Order: sequence, then C-alpha cells, then structure tokens
Amino acid sequence: MSSIQALFALCTRGVRQYAFSSLVASLAIAMSGGLFLGTWKIKEGAQNAFTLSSSGFDAVLGARGSKLQLILNAIFHLEASPGNLEWEQYEIIKNTPGVKEAYPLAVGDNFMGYRLVGTEPSLFDEHEWKKGVKYQIEKGGRLFSSNAKEALVGNFVANKLGLKVGDRFQPYHGLTFREESKHDEVYVIVGILSATGTPADKVIWVPIKGIQFMEGHASEYSTSVSAVLVKLRGAAGFALEMKYNKQGNQATFAWPIAATLAEFFDRLTWFEKVLEWIAYLVGSVACLIILSVLRNSMNERKREFAILRSLGASRYFITNVVLGQSLLISLVGALGSFLVYLIMNGVASHFIREQTGVLLDPFSFDLTFVYVFSVIVLLGLISGIPPAWMAYRVDISKNLRPSS
Amino acid sequence: MSLLKIEQLRKSFLAPEGDSLCVVDVENFTLNEAEFCGMRGESGSGKTTFLHLIAGILSPDRGQIQINGKNVSQMTDSSRDLLRARLIGYVFQSFNLLQGFTCLENLQLTMSFADHSNQSDPYELLDRVGLGKRINYYPHQLSIGQQQRVALARALINQPKLVLADEPTGNLDPVNAAKSMELLCELCRESKTTLFLVSHDEKVIQNFDRQENWEEVSKSNCVKGEV
Repeated sequence: MSSIQALFALCTRGVRQYAFSSLVASLAIAMSGGLFLGTWKIKEGAQNAFTLSSSGFDAVLGARGSKLQLILNAIFHLEASPGNLEWEQYEIIKNTPGVKEAYPLAVGDNFMGYRLVGTEPSLFDEHEWKKGVKYQIEKGGRLFSSNAKEALVGNFVANKLGLKVGDRFQPYHGLTFREESKHDEVYVIVGILSATGTPADKVIWVPIKGIQFMEGHASEYSTSVSAVLVKLRGAAGFALEMKYNKQGNQATFAWPIAATLAEFFDRLTWFEKVLEWIAYLVGSVACLIILSVLRNSMNERKREFAILRSLGASRYFITNVVLGQSLLISLVGALGSFLVYLIMNGVASHFIREQTGVLLDPFSFDLTFVYVFSVIVLLGLISGIPPAWMAYRVDISKNLRPSS
Repeated sequence: MSLLKIEQLRKSFLAPEGDSLCVVDVENFTLNEAEFCGMRGESGSGKTTFLHLIAGILSPDRGQIQINGKNVSQMTDSSRDLLRARLIGYVFQSFNLLQGFTCLENLQLTMSFADHSNQSDPYELLDRVGLGKRINYYPHQLSIGQQQRVALARALINQPKLVLADEPTGNLDPVNAAKSMELLCELCRESKTTLFLVSHDEKVIQNFDRQENWEEVSKSNCVKGEV
C-alpha cells in the first residue's frame, strides 16, 4: 500500500463512518452548485437560443406599440398581437430599398391551443431560417397553396397532436383554445415541417388569406396583417427605424431583434439575483455542514490519528486525511451539482420548448462548469481547514491513553 | 554495539495543583543491538512516558536519546515520525489496532509510513502469528489473543531495530499472555531485533536475560498511581 493508497483508504473510511452526515453535506453542496449553475446557464442558454431562434429575420414591422411584444408575437408566437397593420404597409416595406425579404403574418386562430399563422408560401420556398438552410417538408408532404384551405403543420405540433398528412381539422377562434369557438372551415393537412428547433415548429402554418377571410372574422381583417417579418440588406435598419419609430406614428419597427431580446432578459436580472443569493446561502450552509461533520468526526478520530502517528504517520499525513475527507465530500457534491443542474436545465428546456418551440441545448459545455467545479472543491477544502488544524495538533501521548 | 543510548533524560508535567511533577529522570540507560530487556515498575510510575520519549512521541525537557546513532531529541518532527516508522515497533497494552481496517490493512497502513524496501511480507507475517486464514478479519471479529498477535505482527512488519512493548500482556489471561510473550520473543530473536518491554508483572519480566527495575533506572519524584 503506497502513501496515497493509505491516504485514500483513511479518507474513504472517514466518509463511510459518517456516511449520513457526509451525504447531507454533499447534497447541500449539490443543491447549491446546481442552483448556481442553473440560474447562470439557463438564463444564458435561453438568451442565446432565443437570439439564435429569430428564424433568420432582422426586424419585425407591426402595429404601434412595444417592440418586445411585437417580437414575441411575430417571431416566438407568444402573447397577443399588439394590433394590425394595413396590407398596404406590407407592400410598402416589401418594396423599400434595403429590404431583402418581407413576409406578412396574420394570427387570430388556433387548433387545440396551437396557433394558426397565416403567411405567404414563399416563406418556405425562399427564406433561409438559418444561414444556408431553408425549411424542409417531411417526405410525402407539400407546401400549402395560397388560395386553398391547406395547412403545413410544425413538427412539434404534429408530434404533440399526432397529426399527419391528409388529416382534416377545424380551427378555433382566438389564440387560446375554447371549445365553443370552433370555425366551420375545414383545413386539410398537406405537409409536416421538418424540425428546426425554432418557434416555427410550434405553429400550424396556413395561407394568409385563410386567416384574413376566415368565417366570423371582422371584415377589416381581410385587408390587414398582424406583422411583417423583415430581412434586411446592408445597414437599412437605421433608416427604417428612423422612418417608422422616430418620424412616423403608424407602425413600430422592432430592430434589431437581438438587442430587444437582450433588454427583455435584462429585466429578469432581479430573479437571477434572488436565485444567486439563495445559492450562496445554501452553499454557506453546505460549508458549515462539512465543518460540523469533520469536527464531530475529529472528536472520535483523535485516538485513531494518535495511533497512526505512533506508527509513524506524519502530522501532514493526518492533516491530509481530514482535508481529503472534505475533498471527497465536496467532489461528490460538485458532481451532484452537475446532476442537479442537468435536471433543472432539462425541466427548463422542456418547459421552454413546450411554450415557445425554442430548443435549448442542456448539454453544451463551457468553462463556467470548470470554474464552478473548482470553486465548489476549493470551498469544500477551506471548510476542512479548521478540523484539519485540529488533526494536525493531535496530542499523540494524551490520545493513546497510557495505561501504566 | 549500543542501539539505544540515553543520557540525563528528564521529563516533567504540570500537576493540577500547579507544581511541576518529574515523571522521568534517567541518568544513563543503554540497550544493545538484539538485546532483550524487561523493566519492572509499578503502574503509574512513568514507564509509558519513558517509552513515549524513546519513540519520539513526547519531547524531553532535557537530555539526549540516541537511537542507532541518531539523536532523537534534536530531530525535527517529521524526522522523528520517519524514525518511528522505520526503526521502532510499538506494542501497546490495549493493542491500538485500527478498528475500521482488516488485519492485513492494519499491517499495510503501517508499511506505508516506513516506505522502505526492508519490510516483511504481511501475508507471511500474519501466517507466522497464526492468522493466515483471518487476514481479512476486522479486529472486532477476533479474540483478544488474536488481536494481540495482529499487534505483534504490526510492530514487526517494518523490520524495526527496536521493539517497545508497553504492558503487552496486560489485557490477556495467563495462558494467552505466556503464548504471546513466547511469540514476541521468538519473532524478535529471529529478526535480531532489540526488545524493550515494560510491565508491572514480575512473571513477564523474569524470563528476560536483562532485567531492570524502573525505580532504580529513574530517580523521579513521581508518586505511584499519579501518572
């Protein structure tokens, strides 16, 4: 048995001897680390995923109101539309120099709680939702025609509702599902959109005329759109922002999307701070538990350490046994914190996917993990210093209990 | 050639009344290589303190302890630890086995502190003390006599030059005590190890070639039963 093996044997024995308290300490560390990583990484991951999920658009043109509401409604299919725009506005921006692509959107109906979004078929033919990547339709399906009551179902919706090509459905009025508000029109599903991990997966796409002329909709619907998705060429955004937001009062030009989303996430900072402080609190408790476990064990292990010293173990060796014990507890806690983080992130990802269609990557790795892991282990070691000092100072003669 | 040489050794403790209580006051004491020495003394007279001083567990107030030519009292803490691991085997009255470790692990842990090539094979040594089939037993699974034999094997595993035995038969019945003494002497004789044993039991001491009386070796003012 080498010195290292002896050290490991003594450390693990210490942990085994106080298995329950050691486990509680490790769990507290795991909770704290997991909470810390969770608040940090989930927010960061969500922000990145939302920014990347702008579906290849630079701006949204919509009714006068909040930029954020406009983006959430048109890009992420969340919240209500702030209002409608005249079809003419769509025509104007479409033909504005510097605008590369423009697609009108119309919302106002749902099927089983999933939104129907009316647009032009060209969105699926021409637009690249990710650089170099256009929307794909699953085998056996096709794109809806602009004048028919046909639908292209987002991948997530198709899986959730078990919809397939050839199925028929009747939309419901409004953005939330109410059984009594069923429309008479029957739509036929002609295609299922391949999964993109973007909000496009979470809606049912129909021709814009379908929404505009849906039975029961007010007549002004037929000449209006809910928003226009815009892709720009060059630096046209500045001029358009000036035109719509500073000089005009007819519409809002939400640009750039990433900056508006960043503002939104900044509003959540207080919540992040609260969770962060809870994590610090739990972390402090974890350190105190380690200290208490090791200190209690010290009272009973003094004799064992005195025997080891009498056999030739050095003070440093005994000190390392105690530090090793705290290291083991904190290592288990640190590994546990990743598990807690993965569970938290998994739940959050599922929730975000359910609500927005945005796909988070819960397993993405970066240096934050290394920092957090190191800090947890370091704090564990620091907690072990006072009991290790006690071990260092163990009086061999006194604790061997001389018998003659 | 002398293995242990002690000169002007003195150790005092502070009594509860605040007075200094001299426990060890030895003018001269030597042990030769491979010598067997038994020292008789009353319980509480300071014999254990004397052994602790020799082993470097305690530091003397003054005086010199030389083991194998090295002055223990002038050594650093870590040098004393290494000397204890490599040159000294210690047998305690209460055996002091590590309870959470098997017989084999008790020996292997002791070996890890000495970390030199002249070590006995733990399997062979446990076999030699009659515990070859119980190497994976924990101390609490063994009889008192068997525990004592593990303690003897542990004291000799690093092939020390000096074995210090402190009332090694104190917890044993007469039959086991005799067997244990026989085994200890046999093992030390085979390895030519110096054996220094202290006991209050006259019967244990009488078999030694060299017999000493603690009261004559130490001129301490210690009151019997106080230390």
